[in-house]
Amino acid sequence: MAYVATRGGERAIEQSQRLFKAEMGAITPERVAETRRAMPYLVDRVMGEASLYDEDLAALALAQTGGELYETILLLRSWRTTQPRLAVADPVTQEGLFTHRRISAAFKDIPGGQLLGPTLDYAHRILATEVLTGTPHVPTLVTPAPHPAPAQQPSVAAWQAENDLLNLPNPDTTAGNDIPDVTREPLLFPAKRAHTLQSLARAETGGVLALGYAAQRGYGQAHPTVNELRLAEAEINVTHPRGTKFSAGRVKISQAEVVSKKGSQLELGFAATMGWNEVKVIAAATLDLNSAGAPKGSATEEEFYLYHTEGVESSGFCIHFKLPHYVTFQSSLDAMRDAKAKQAEPAE
Amino acid sequence: MSLKSLTKAWEPMSYGFLDASAKREIRRKMLKAIAVPGCQIPYASREVPMARGWGTGGLQISCTLLNPKTTIKVIDQGADDSVNAASIRRFLAGVSGAPTTTDTLKADLIQSRHRIPEEILREDQVLVLQVPNPEPLRPVQPNMSIARQMHADADYGRMWLQLYEQIVRSGRVMQGASYPSLVNGRFVMTPSPIPRWDVPKMHMAKHLTILSAGREKRLHAVPPFTKVEPLVFDDVPYKVEDHGAHVCTRSGAKGYFMNEIPQDDGPSTFEVSDSELGVKSIHRADGEAVQIGETWYKNGEMTE
Amino acid sequence: MMDAPQIVKTQPLLMARNVSKSFGNIAALQDVSATVYPGEVLGIVGESGSGKSTFLRCLNLEEHPDQGSYTLDLPNVQGNLFDLDRYARRMLCATRIGIVYQNPHLGLLMKHSSSGNVAERLLVAGERRFNVLREKARDALDASEFPLDRMDAPPIELSGGMQQRVQLAKAIALEPALLLLDEPTTGLDVSVQALVLDTLKKLQQERKITMVIVSHDLGVIRTLSDRVMVMRRGRVVEEGLADQVFQDPQHAYTQQLVHAKL
Repeated sequence: MAYVATRGGERAIEQSQRLFKAEMGAITPERVAETRRAMPYLVDRVMGEASLYDEDLAALALAQTGGELYETILLLRSWRTTQPRLAVADPVTQEGLFTHRRISAAFKDIPGGQLLGPTLDYAHRILATEVLTGTPHVPTLVTPAPHPAPAQQPSVAAWQAENDLLNLPNPDTTAGNDIPDVTREPLLFPAKRAHTLQSLARAETGGVLALGYAAQRGYGQAHPTVNELRLAEAEINVTHPRGTKFSAGRVKISQAEVVSKKGSQLELGFAATMGWNEVKVIAAATLDLNSAGAPKGSATEEEFYLYHTEGVESSGFCIHFKLPHYVTFQSSLDAMRDAKAKQAEPAE
Repeated sequence: MSLKSLTKAWEPMSYGFLDASAKREIRRKMLKAIAVPGCQIPYASREVPMARGWGTGGLQISCTLLNPKTTIKVIDQGADDSVNAASIRRFLAGVSGAPTTTDTLKADLIQSRHRIPEEILREDQVLVLQVPNPEPLRPVQPNMSIARQMHADADYGRMWLQLYEQIVRSGRVMQGASYPSLVNGRFVMTPSPIPRWDVPKMHMAKHLTILSAGREKRLHAVPPFTKVEPLVFDDVPYKVEDHGAHVCTRSGAKGYFMNEIPQDDGPSTFEVSDSELGVKSIHRADGEAVQIGETWYKNGEMTE
Repeated sequence: MMDAPQIVKTQPLLMARNVSKSFGNIAALQDVSATVYPGEVLGIVGESGSGKSTFLRCLNLEEHPDQGSYTLDLPNVQGNLFDLDRYARRMLCATRIGIVYQNPHLGLLMKHSSSGNVAERLLVAGERRFNVLREKARDALDASEFPLDRMDAPPIELSGGMQQRVQLAKAIALEPALLLLDEPTTGLDVSVQALVLDTLKKLQQERKITMVIVSHDLGVIRTLSDRVMVMRRGRVVEEGLADQVFQDPQHAYTQQLVHAKL
């Protein structure tokens, strides 16, 4: 029989998946727990891009894919999309955040104070090869500051607005289920503000960095000054259908305010995401800062950067080129050959 | 009678994977698309357990239309046995319990990438085409917002200019697959990357075609008995691929769209692209009783 | 009884009344009015910043004024054209008004063929026969005295003078009721400028096209115009028959312009 291959495709994919899993080894609860414990920043990045705050599921997805980040995000996103929207939490305010780290490049000192918090910024990036030869790195004790920093602070932009340096946008009073949700409706342009901020929060870190960096390097009009970068925890307050308010827990968040001078005022760019991911929020806030009036088709135009930093879409499309394209290719070949034959004909 | 006996047990996944709210949105958008043939309707396009660009748009439509009695056929580049078709078929069957088939005549729902089967589809069949890029204006206007406005204005001058330029430069329209076509005299759509060979099959067809782009979050439709006209100048006729005379080396089928197989020792041989038609032709040649439906093309020519 | 002169009987083709436009605090146009009769050429002269190009863009419906009215006496064209919606505006401009910009990048697709640039107009108007498109594009290019052996070369490969001829061919391809020229020869070599002006003059004489031409160059205006409007700081300071204005300028600013030119 000729076409015996009809079931061959299914067998082939089955075996290729087995091969991948065999190389990965067993995925156990211990392995997932270890992934979560060992790589908090990776887990944070994944939760941000997946827009799903669950460290265990994020660690599971990482373990299941062996850290193939695009696969990790896709796994979490497609799980997330099947979950019901049970409730909408109260808005998280800047003043309500439990701040771990808060720095400003705009002023030497800011109301509420600079708070260095945990960072590698001033570490010398020397690979600790001694760990491999048996000398583990054990954390040394942190000496607490004489006076604890206030846990809650206003934003720098709020101070600037009070001092007539900046016009804060009017607070959006849309509440609850009326807040547009980019995971439940298409992104259209000009984009709703909620959609823009949600899309940036979910955007792929590398993509946001690439386009944000392009803007910072000079392809954008505005040079960003980091007004405030903040790593914090936010209380998620939810109202029970019976009316009682309760905390559903705390999530780690990052946010950046960047400003630039425009005429006699400062212009503000803002971004926030779940998990601690400083590079992403600074780059994303830079894009936000530059997007007003950006020329069509430029990297700082909203449509351009929101479409092209969507990690699930961009990575999926990129790998789809592995799929067979016999038909389209055949169709092009036909047109090419015919055109060639026409050109070879003597002119009329 | 207890409350428990009336409710379904909790399951980790909804029937047909998508939850009810996602399906409802898609049903509404499909109705809209059918009401305005060829018009791209934006939809939320949820993530599904498959990478974007791999048929997630078609998959969401299929997941929404499925029920346990729907017989599903999935093809990729004309073949039921390609790995991606196999993967999608397995997923659809897995989330729905629906039976699958490779026989075009037995299918209720056909999800396809880049081909329309050669056997004529009926009123009771639905064709779901996977679409990588739903915007026919993309080559002349990459900005989606402007392109949407151009559709609203039926501003297709640039589209026509592109065809003019190709004829001037190459002596013919160079568009291969995805040939832009005017639907119901109003909207220019992409028929998805089907070959030019397949576009005439859409014109006044008996079946419903839904075209869905998951990554780009747009769907459009060609309802039954709707005009689909490839954009061509009045005096430069539309030309399908020159496959009418090729013979399939494996099945002997002739006059259908072919895959070209380059040979070590010479030019190329051909295999029929619609794999199931090939299988049926082989069975028939072996003397087995097999039903081959009427085909759109006869002797390599499109029938009216 | 004597007949009234011919011109009195004719309705104006174009009437713009009290057109005003501000950009921020800058008043680009203040109460500008203009009347143009069929077959007539109106020249608008003024230095840069006088508002003349803004006015022309208003006449091409690509700029929306803050105030004013604009009518064209054409079949099926009614009311104040500034009130048209986007679709009607686009169709009117595509079929009834032709424009030549100083900067060919504004008017042409630089990488498409020259003939294609002309054909696009016909395509927008609904022409679907390839051979007719070729023929009409060739005719329009020929009338613009464009060398036909280059008709399929893209404008980006052509000289400035040739690019202006492609723009002109595109503008006249549909035999528009109104042709707008925005500094059509500015930036060209003097000899090329003269040749392009010759073509414009010839076209005007052969086809009796109604034109509005804007230029800072009195010579250009003088060569082509029947009537002249002098603009300064967004206002019309003087207008009249071309000969009259140039021979006997009344306004001090016009006198200054004319003398500077001499």
